[in-house]
Amino acid sequence: MKKSNDRSRRSGVKRRDFLKLAGGSLAASGIAAIPTISRAAETINIGALYPTTGSMAQIGVGCVAAAKLAVDMVNEAGGIKSMGGAKLNLVISDVQSDTTVTRTETDRLINGNKLSAIHGCYASALTMIASEVCERAKVPLITGSSSDQLNKGRHYTFTPFARASQFAQAQLRMSKLVSDKPKVAVIFENTAFGTSTSNGLKELSAGEGVEIVMFEPYSAGFTDASPLINKVKASGANTLFSLSYLNDLILIVRTVRQVGLNIAINGGSGGFVMPDFYKNVGKAAEGLQGVAHWNHDINADSQKVNAEFKKRTGEFAFEYAGGLVAQTFMLADALERAASPDPKKVREALSTLDVSSGYAAMAPGGKVKFGPDGKNIYGRPVGVQWQNTDLVSIFPKEDARAPLLKI
Amino acid sequence: MVGTIIQAVINGLLIGGIYALVSIGVTLIFGVVKIVNFAQGEFVMIGMYISFFLSTQLGIDPIVSLVVTMPVLFVVGVLVQHFLIRRVLGPNDMPQIFLTFALSLLLLNLSLMLFTANYRTVHTWYSDEAFHFAGLYVPYAKLIAFVVAMALSGCLWVFLRTTDLGKAMRAASQNRDVASLMGINPDRVFAVAFGLALALAGAAGSLLMPFQSAYPFVGQVFVLMAFIAVVLGTLGNVIGALVASLLMGIAESLGIQFVGADSGLLVVFVMFLLTLVFKPNGLGGGKAR
Repeated sequence: MKKSNDRSRRSGVKRRDFLKLAGGSLAASGIAAIPTISRAAETINIGALYPTTGSMAQIGVGCVAAAKLAVDMVNEAGGIKSMGGAKLNLVISDVQSDTTVTRTETDRLINGNKLSAIHGCYASALTMIASEVCERAKVPLITGSSSDQLNKGRHYTFTPFARASQFAQAQLRMSKLVSDKPKVAVIFENTAFGTSTSNGLKELSAGEGVEIVMFEPYSAGFTDASPLINKVKASGANTLFSLSYLNDLILIVRTVRQVGLNIAINGGSGGFVMPDFYKNVGKAAEGLQGVAHWNHDINADSQKVNAEFKKRTGEFAFEYAGGLVAQTFMLADALERAASPDPKKVREALSTLDVSSGYAAMAPGGKVKFGPDGKNIYGRPVGVQWQNTDLVSIFPKEDARAPLLKI
Repeated sequence: MVGTIIQAVINGLLIGGIYALVSIGVTLIFGVVKIVNFAQGEFVMIGMYISFFLSTQLGIDPIVSLVVTMPVLFVVGVLVQHFLIRRVLGPNDMPQIFLTFALSLLLLNLSLMLFTANYRTVHTWYSDEAFHFAGLYVPYAKLIAFVVAMALSGCLWVFLRTTDLGKAMRAASQNRDVASLMGINPDRVFAVAFGLALALAGAAGSLLMPFQSAYPFVGQVFVLMAFIAVVLGTLGNVIGALVASLLMGIAESLGIQFVGADSGLLVVFVMFLLTLVFKPNGLGGGKAR
């Protein structure tokens, strides 16, 4: 049902585009005397690829809400001024939590619409596919996904936030907040997200002086976390890094409580930093640590975005939501300077982006400038902790908004 | 080390009890009605949502809500059998396969639409508590689930063995034509079988709710294990499915403990294939039911 709705919405967009094109060409041939009017009415299409159905739908739906909020914010502020106040138009596509669908949907979105840029898909496994398609079609893709592979051999992919390897470093350093001699058990789901983050942890652990006593991939979507936690218990670890999406993590935390295991848990990013996590785990979530590429308390602009997002959805702005608003403003900045909806020119403008204030700079570190690999050279993650039902930034010192809560 | 092994076996047995409820439902439908119900997992999911809403709206404990989920799903099962399955029963398997598969997709997408993909969890006083002894632990929620699952399986077995309706069910599954010549109404028997199977799925849903989250895809996690258990325990054999489910739970748990955390299913499948090599009809041998 949902699907057919989406499709009709899509065909609606297409029809509107067709009418616009037809109207535009009529205007061009018939009333060539006043071209500025058709110019002022121009809209800039931004593609949004998110899984709004399927197993990853929960975060995907939140991303779409944030993408809409961001476009409204840009448009209400007057649109793209260098293009006569052109408005951003969001073209949303459901990639159905599926890599094959992601490939065909990215293709369809690019071929069916005149896109200036695309953002998506939050889940690294899907973003990898979308970024391949965008690369071939020469359409810039800006994404909050953290996989380091997105920065390899790409010219059209931009990643304004911390990379998986940086997340790993932050987690390792945070483990020393709790214990002088951290003995860490690493469990990670065997997906692109889990594997890339955990490999980062392994490579960096020796340099950071952190001992890893257990390093285990597990199949995402299990029925029971007990065997896994039994294994963690046997390893003698005092800190647990769990790189998991929401449901697995809920089961893991609940099982740790059942076992009565006294262990500091760092839930990483993904499902852990979502409002739903606290709702599902309840009080057991208090004091649990994690890392995020964005948090709603990092600066005044983030708090404004958070308030607006809360008003619309009832939840605080999670990392991908806030990050998406920042990304949309980065695109707006690039479009402003490119003064053209041409995706190649937008890509050029993105590659020279350099912001340190406003919504576009709303990232830990407060600055965005892309290196040749599309990585934000100032990007860094923020360490967070659940305190009194809220997610609070606690690490590093310059980003900390509250002290660590010891449990 | 010994403690770790014992704990792994306990963990496996406990989750195996839940696998058993799902697989017994599948095997009962297969044995009696002779169709494979691909939607069994979705009925577990429905059972979970019923328990979730009863718990959050009316404050009824998920385990207690069993008395609601089981009858509701029994009626659903009778209706599904009467209005859908009955019409496609015939010499050709294809329409039945497509029907239950379509039902699974329909229920999945309907619940996505109604409940969204969000995870919903119930907190009871025993959810995060466990019974500790000699360095081992048994979570209350799972222990209750296991005991109730075994009791329900036992009741079903006694029902099939001792009651007229149960015997009629077994007769109809052995030979439909002969059974109807003996005065058994196969439609009625099939409807009861389908209803019972779904009631078990509903029970599994209620029992899962104190320690699992409800979400539209949750049934698919369990149904894969159920299908393997059904084949491993010989198609149509209730006791076989029960034993196979418990063995699979233990194999999965030991696999995660001693082979690798992502190898639980691998061990289950190796066990499955080895069993089929030596006993092609499954653990129940040639004896069905």
